Amino acid sequence: MPTRRLSEFVQALRGAGLRISPDEASQAMDAAALVGYAQRQRFHDALALTLVKQQQDRSAFEETFARFFEAEDPRSDSPQDSASSMPSPAAQADPASAQTPEAQQAEALLASTPEQLQQRMAEAAAEMDFTQMEVITQQGIYTRRLLMNMGMGAVDDRVLQLDQGSPAQQARAEQLRHWRTRVREQAAAQVRRQFLLHGAGKGRALREQTLRAVPFRDLREFRDVQALVRKMARRLASLHQRRTKTSRRGMLDARRTMVASIRHDGVPAKLFWRRRPPRKTRVMVICDVSSSVSDAARFLLQFLYAMNDVLPRVRSFAFASRFDEITEDFARYSPEVAVGQVLDRLSGSGTDYAEMFRAFQARCERELDAHTTVIILGDARNNYLPDGAETLQAIRRRVKQVWWLNPESRSRWNSGDAVMDRYLPHCRLARQCATLNDLERVVDSLLGALD
Amino acid sequence: MKTRIDSVEEITRSFAGQGYICSEQIALAIYLAAQLHKPVLVEGPPGVGKTELAKAAAAFLEAPLIRLQCYEGLDESRALYEWKYGKQLLYTQLLRDKLGGMLADTDSLEASMERLGDLGEAFYSDTFLEPRPLLHALRSDEPAVLLIDEIDKADQEFEAFLLELLSDFQISIPELGTVKARHQPLVLLTSNDQRELSDALKRRCLHLYIPYPTAELEAQIVATRVPDLDVRLREQLVAFIQHLREQDMKKLPAISETLDWARALVLLHADSLEHAQVADTLNLVLKTEQDVSLARELLPAWLRKLGKR
Repeated sequence: MPTRRLSEFVQALRGAGLRISPDEASQAMDAAALVGYAQRQRFHDALALTLVKQQQDRSAFEETFARFFEAEDPRSDSPQDSASSMPSPAAQADPASAQTPEAQQAEALLASTPEQLQQRMAEAAAEMDFTQMEVITQQGIYTRRLLMNMGMGAVDDRVLQLDQGSPAQQARAEQLRHWRTRVREQAAAQVRRQFLLHGAGKGRALREQTLRAVPFRDLREFRDVQALVRKMARRLASLHQRRTKTSRRGMLDARRTMVASIRHDGVPAKLFWRRRPPRKTRVMVICDVSSSVSDAARFLLQFLYAMNDVLPRVRSFAFASRFDEITEDFARYSPEVAVGQVLDRLSGSGTDYAEMFRAFQARCERELDAHTTVIILGDARNNYLPDGAETLQAIRRRVKQVWWLNPESRSRWNSGDAVMDRYLPHCRLARQCATLNDLERVVDSLLGALD
Repeated sequence: MKTRIDSVEEITRSFAGQGYICSEQIALAIYLAAQLHKPVLVEGPPGVGKTELAKAAAAFLEAPLIRLQCYEGLDESRALYEWKYGKQLLYTQLLRDKLGGMLADTDSLEASMERLGDLGEAFYSDTFLEPRPLLHALRSDEPAVLLIDEIDKADQEFEAFLLELLSDFQISIPELGTVKARHQPLVLLTSNDQRELSDALKRRCLHLYIPYPTAELEAQIVATRVPDLDVRLREQLVAFIQHLREQDMKKLPAISETLDWARALVLLHADSLEHAQVADTLNLVLKTEQDVSLARELLPAWLRKLGKR
């Protein structure tokens, strides 16, 4: 197997979302050269060892490996090997009956050996620009274009022409159709490979961009959004882990330094630094899970619990018609399951913010202190009930800060039964939070504010 | 150290001879690491034999094993080298008179400084250098196996500090300059996934993930390590452990726990998993009360199912 094939495989992996540096790619080549290609499993393991650096990437690797080396003998040394799957020349070429130049062209194509055909397809493919391919649905168009470039149009015409001729010619047309189908399959495979090489990565990036900017409400439909949320959370977590670690040192621990210096005749040979006590910050999240806001709540909670390493003390509450603590649900089940459960248990309509504030205060007043951040996610639509802003103010007095996230756009914050204006004075920060991008920004500044 | 490794099979065989039964992938990782001179990052749940792997590799390569246990707050002075401050001070105290005498005939401050300057090097020489595991590995007279255990417990700064060692097998010490490895050590890093390791570190390493073993492999391991255990009981035991791993446990039983249990059952002269005995010894396998009570609930049904088979 030439290195070109392997570097194409690396390209395809990058398309599938793995991050592979040139150095790792060359390691993979060294490893492959070392173990050889004779034993497929070992070849596979060697590539996995050098290219897969996170367990999460494992399935993407397996999938790409299977697809890329599918049915291909790993020993084969030439890229032409797929010629064997090309159809052999359509039986008994019949140049005699072909009068027009087009028909002759078709007959010439029909008579070509699998190798020639493969060559022709490769040439046709080389003329095309596959780099514009972005989504998988474009494959059909590209396959058609590839076939046209090969001159298959003439074959199509020839088939139609023969269909109108004698019974013998009609039978031949039938044969040609079979032949054409097989060439078409090959062309489709070629295009799929090109898509893996060029399109998949771009398509993924494009899709990710879209997912990040789509309102939560429409996001539930997408399957891979969970993975995206986890990925974003991981990125943020590692970013902030670093920040907390570096802000640790500062003060000299005079006592320990002096005690240690006694050994060295009073020379402070080794300095000890005072460590900052582990931070006691606590985050309490209150989510409105009534139908209008529940989608945003789902993602906020998923995001926060995916960041367990940097935000260990999150307590969460949810309310719609009722108010309840939901921390336990998240402690016991995975975020995806927990969110579903909570929504089942508490969702409904008829939110009463004043009642919620009172219930929260009654339950948690003792634990509210200067290290606590309270985050409220809701649209502040109070069904024309009393707003309870004074309770929020009382809560605000006991905690470090109150944040308000509103899934609606700022212009609608006070429209209809929404009373954001009444709550705003008590919030240190109020933001619109309608997409994953918004959410990421909010959590980022939350972590920044906690340090 | 052994310099020629003929094949992956040779490694598997040697490991098996030492009682370390492993999948082919693990042997392949060691083979590639030794041939390509790349460090291996070994990840996996606790108790699947990550540290054992380093020991087996060292024995196979006939190389000394140098181990660095990581923990939060681990810094260069404990991992790489330290100056023996105490010794330095003691020497200056003892040599005070001598130094005084030496400097007595100098008439200006500059002259004394110059004379001291010649001496200064002496105080930062090998005599006063306390090498720690990493420096040991670099300066070892024969190639060594360096095990950096539980790298995820160390701070991120330490991880960054390791990068130079992992890619070039050298380390910079301000007072001594760059120390290059006399012989490239085989480096194994282990991680329990307590935190995400940086991409830079992962990029420099081969990545080996050791999962819980398959039933077949685990039976083989038990057979090698606890040969006294009855064959039928061994199969029952392994099947039960595998069953437990499918449950929603707080802490899943690892291979080391399977082995402990097997040894206990040998001591108790058990010949099959009977309910009472299993229930009494479950705390060898499961380490939290919640898990033990969950397993107690599961047990009767499971034993019944086993009996039917």
